[in-house]
Amino acid sequence: MLNDKSIVWLLRIYLLLVFVFIFMPIVTSVVFSFNSDRFPSLPLGHFTWHWYDKVYNDPETWDAIKTSIVVALSASLLATIIGFCTAYTDFRYNFKFKNAYLALALLPPTIPLIILALAMLAWFSKLGISGQIWALIIAHTVLGAPFAMAIIRLRLQQMDKDLESAAWNLGASEWATMRHVIIPFALPSIISALCLTMAVSFDEFAIAWFVSGLNKSVPVVILEILQGNVDPQINAIGSFVFATTMTLVVIAQLFLFTKNPQ
Amino acid sequence: MSEGQIVLENITKQFGSTVAVQPINFEIKAGEFLAIMGSSGCGKTTTLRMLAGLETPSSGEIRLNGERMNELKAHERETPLVWQTLALFPFLNVIENVEFGLKMRGVEKSERTQRALKWLNRMEIGEFANRSIDQLSGGQRQRVALARALVTEPPVLLLDEPLSALDQNLVVRMQSVLTQLQKELGITFVYVTHSQSEAFAMADRVVIMSEGVIEQIGSPKEIYRNPASRFVAEFVGTNNIISGYIKELNEHIMICNTAFGTIESNLDDANNSHILGGAVDLVISADMIELSQEETSSKNQIQIQFIAEEFTGSVVTLYFEDDKKNELIVQKQQREIEPLELTYGCKIYAHWDPINVFCIPELNAR
Repeated sequence: MLNDKSIVWLLRIYLLLVFVFIFMPIVTSVVFSFNSDRFPSLPLGHFTWHWYDKVYNDPETWDAIKTSIVVALSASLLATIIGFCTAYTDFRYNFKFKNAYLALALLPPTIPLIILALAMLAWFSKLGISGQIWALIIAHTVLGAPFAMAIIRLRLQQMDKDLESAAWNLGASEWATMRHVIIPFALPSIISALCLTMAVSFDEFAIAWFVSGLNKSVPVVILEILQGNVDPQINAIGSFVFATTMTLVVIAQLFLFTKNPQ
Repeated sequence: MSEGQIVLENITKQFGSTVAVQPINFEIKAGEFLAIMGSSGCGKTTTLRMLAGLETPSSGEIRLNGERMNELKAHERETPLVWQTLALFPFLNVIENVEFGLKMRGVEKSERTQRALKWLNRMEIGEFANRSIDQLSGGQRQRVALARALVTEPPVLLLDEPLSALDQNLVVRMQSVLTQLQKELGITFVYVTHSQSEAFAMADRVVIMSEGVIEQIGSPKEIYRNPASRFVAEFVGTNNIISGYIKELNEHIMICNTAFGTIESNLDDANNSHILGGAVDLVISADMIELSQEETSSKNQIQIQFIAEEFTGSVVTLYFEDDKKNELIVQKQQREIEPLELTYGCKIYAHWDPINVFCIPELNAR
């Protein structure tokens, strides 16, 4: 028979295995990014910055990083603005088909990425912007907006409905109320949404591969290197992308769970 | 102008198919403390929100100083509200909260701080100016909310059950703060509450609402002594409401047959619509009934049996019934009943003066 203590230990081991399962590949990648050997094998060679050096001096990777950053910044900004507007409409107004409106706003992440990517490619070529950086920004905005909306909506739901009326009552017009009450209240979630949508854009591959053309983003470049030959500099780029994304996600979480000052 | 500072004329409010406020009419005089009282859903808060411009009346007219203000937006009015939830801005500190109204009116920073501090000091919370809201106690938040509403020096202050979240002892303290503040400032207070004790303790006049209709408007004393309808009589509680039929009627005296036997009442001139044999509801305040061990010569006297008591501080509410199980409520000071040596089941005489028997106007009797 199992007693309480053994259940606790079994659960702990289970949790450990889950973490090992999730993080082992990433840890392996990080470890081999500092390994001097050309091929990933044990025992390890000696410690080296060589692969990072190689990446650092590779203009193609730099271009990809620049593209990724520009796209991530623009797309996260646009997605957060759209997400905020959608979340505020939900907070403020009641209207017919509101549920349909919300479902539609939350739709993009539920569409298989390949389908979304194909549709975007077809549509962008029709518009004639396929392969331009704009295409990638728009695509990532579409992908990120639902996340931004969900996060900001969560925050606005915690807001006392009377706060807005109180601001009007104290002489604030609707715009002033937006500026001095709604946005300050939602600010932690806005920052959180910015970080999260930035992370979404930064490591998104499928759509980027379809629509980016010559403006390759980092994940696209990783695949290209991988297709050419097995080179440990992939581990270096991968570690960099992982670190960036995780940092953004952690910041997002910190802001998301800031204590509601009530 | 003879008209009151605020006039509500045939105001109604509908939300979809539900009628929140039936046509209501009343005036609020400049500088008076008016309470609007009723149970939840009676339309009192909706009425207040219409005064603040947060709801638009479905029909009728609201006038402030003789000018129609139906179309005036909430932020264009000078009718600050103290909210039931207080609705302080959690992302602003105490003084920033108080400054908010001034900031929206474009008052310059240094003047803003000075005026906000003046009000914080007046509310005796000046030392907390730079604290954040969640570091304050309930009573202190209450004072911040008051300072925030008053800092623009408005002619009218609206209050929506502001004390309902406080502890009972704090409620009593804030009541005296509010009444004193209202007297000193000389501005109009419109105070919505479901609590009879709050309304009666503070207000000059009370409006009693039920299901979107005004049941009675009057001073607390008028309402307590002379309820205009059976609803009001029941709402203010501690009243004995006795139904009966008119047996004898002359110019000043009415004698009714009731479950307690005959009860005599002195008629006031206002209610002259009585007819012999008509149904009436009589009201006898619980504190107007005398108790004695022996029979007296009083015109209204019954023998009753002591069944229960409810002790609330210095006042005791006593429950009696007669031999037909009709209940009678009596309120007395603790020291008054001590000599009577009441024991459960003991018999005693209750009597009251005919001038303390009020008759609810028949038109409103339900």
